Amino acid sequence: MATIVEINEQKALEVKNFEFTYAGADAPSIKKLTMPIARHNITALIGPSGCGKTTLLRSFNRMHDLYPGNKYNGEILFKDRNILIPKEDLIKLRIQIGMIFQKPTAFPMSIFDNVAYGMRLQGIKNKTELSGRVEKALKDAAIWNEVKDRLKHDASGLSGGQQQRLCIARAVAVEPEVLLFDEPTSALDPISTAGIEELIVELRERVSIIIVTHNMQQAARVSDYTGFMYLGELVELGRTEELFVTPKERLTEEYITGKFG
Amino acid sequence: MTHTQKRILINNIVMVLSTLSAIIGICFLLWILSVLVANGLDAISATIFMQEGAPPGNINGGLKHALIGQLIIVSYATLFGVPFGILAGTYLSEYGQKSKLAEIIRDISDIMMSAPSIVIGAFVYAIVVAPMGHFSGWAGSIALTIIMIPIILRTTDDMLQLVPSTLREAAFALGAPKYKVIIQVVYRGAKAGILTGILLGVARVAGETAPLLFTSFNNNFLNTNMSEPMASLTVTIYNYATSPYEDWQKLGWAAAFILSMFILTLNILGRLFLLKKKGK
Repeated sequence: MATIVEINEQKALEVKNFEFTYAGADAPSIKKLTMPIARHNITALIGPSGCGKTTLLRSFNRMHDLYPGNKYNGEILFKDRNILIPKEDLIKLRIQIGMIFQKPTAFPMSIFDNVAYGMRLQGIKNKTELSGRVEKALKDAAIWNEVKDRLKHDASGLSGGQQQRLCIARAVAVEPEVLLFDEPTSALDPISTAGIEELIVELRERVSIIIVTHNMQQAARVSDYTGFMYLGELVELGRTEELFVTPKERLTEEYITGKFG
Repeated sequence: MTHTQKRILINNIVMVLSTLSAIIGICFLLWILSVLVANGLDAISATIFMQEGAPPGNINGGLKHALIGQLIIVSYATLFGVPFGILAGTYLSEYGQKSKLAEIIRDISDIMMSAPSIVIGAFVYAIVVAPMGHFSGWAGSIALTIIMIPIILRTTDDMLQLVPSTLREAAFALGAPKYKVIIQVVYRGAKAGILTGILLGVARVAGETAPLLFTSFNNNFLNTNMSEPMASLTVTIYNYATSPYEDWQKLGWAAAFILSMFILTLNILGRLFLLKKKGK
């Protein structure tokens, strides 16, 4: 059984006996996983490739539903409701639980339209409100000064790091409760990476954050809690400083000291 | 001769042979173009665009009827073929994906793309012309539509699939419903490619003669009624070029020149769109 630290804060999400099986696979990729996610904290998911951390992350906003045949079992509680029920309103769910991807996913439209996209989906048409919230989101994502003079330009003209911050602005603009980051800096240079990490830490004030990362230093730098996953199971969830300094599980220790992975 | 020398020799022989083949191919192309341009420019004049067909020997004969007829037939074919092709391509890429039905549709449309166009003309003759009892512009447009659909369907399918799936996921992750993801994100990402497909599809059907021969047939006078036989540049070229009258032959050259320039322009435009996309 996994070692899970007691979480005293409110919980943003609670995973209970969760199993996930990809279409056509014999065995589940995530097995009987139970894990609390603290509200307004940053939880990092680490583990070797194929351990199921991204699969778990993409279950929180039911991204797997885009492809037929994937199976969920168990429960993921969000605001005391199981979001895995078949009739869950995925559009509402994804407005509340946003996602940032590995590669920047700027849409082929202007910088302004990118950030306004989610708000327009929710039916906000008022121009003053839109531009006010776009400005705020771009400021929150620490990119306002770089783009304020070219909001009408195509977003594809931005650098990788700028595009990623644009995607973060787009995600925070709809004021989600939870933000999922799927290796958000693995395609970026070190300076852009530092910028994104700083941003993630600042966002914690307003949203609960779950970040999947291959980079253990990154997990140590930004997160409050760290979960170590291995072969589809949670091995250990602890406060980040404790997990990296005094891991309770031998497997965790071997992984963070580089004995395997 | 050492082994290395032998390899260099073979290398040179292959290079010379392939370069020679390319040059011969280009020579024929330039030959065709130069004959076409020389005869076409010689035959072209303002009257051609103002006058309808005339009996041989009458110097006032023109191509107005064929030009307008061609434009109408191709326009209707585009009007039917483009939405149909784009929607079907959207189904394949966004809904059918790798399903059995989608794969069958892809195979059939590939077969249709290489089907001889005269067969499609014969098909339309059997289902439209024969029951109606006469040739008509509609029949010609329908034949061209059938030829155009698989071209646009396949390019749309291919171009939409080039849009990275993470872009779709990012839109879904913001709570977008599927139709909005397709219209607002996927179509935008594939805009240049789809437009190129449309232009190439139009260029392809604009050059078709066989399926028009026994559908829209021909007309020596200006006719804008789609229910009547209608003139087209391609069939006019066929008729005039094979006639024994010199003035008709000249008009045939002019028609061939105009048509070639039109198709050349469409092709160049199509390529420019793709270049612009790549340059981004």
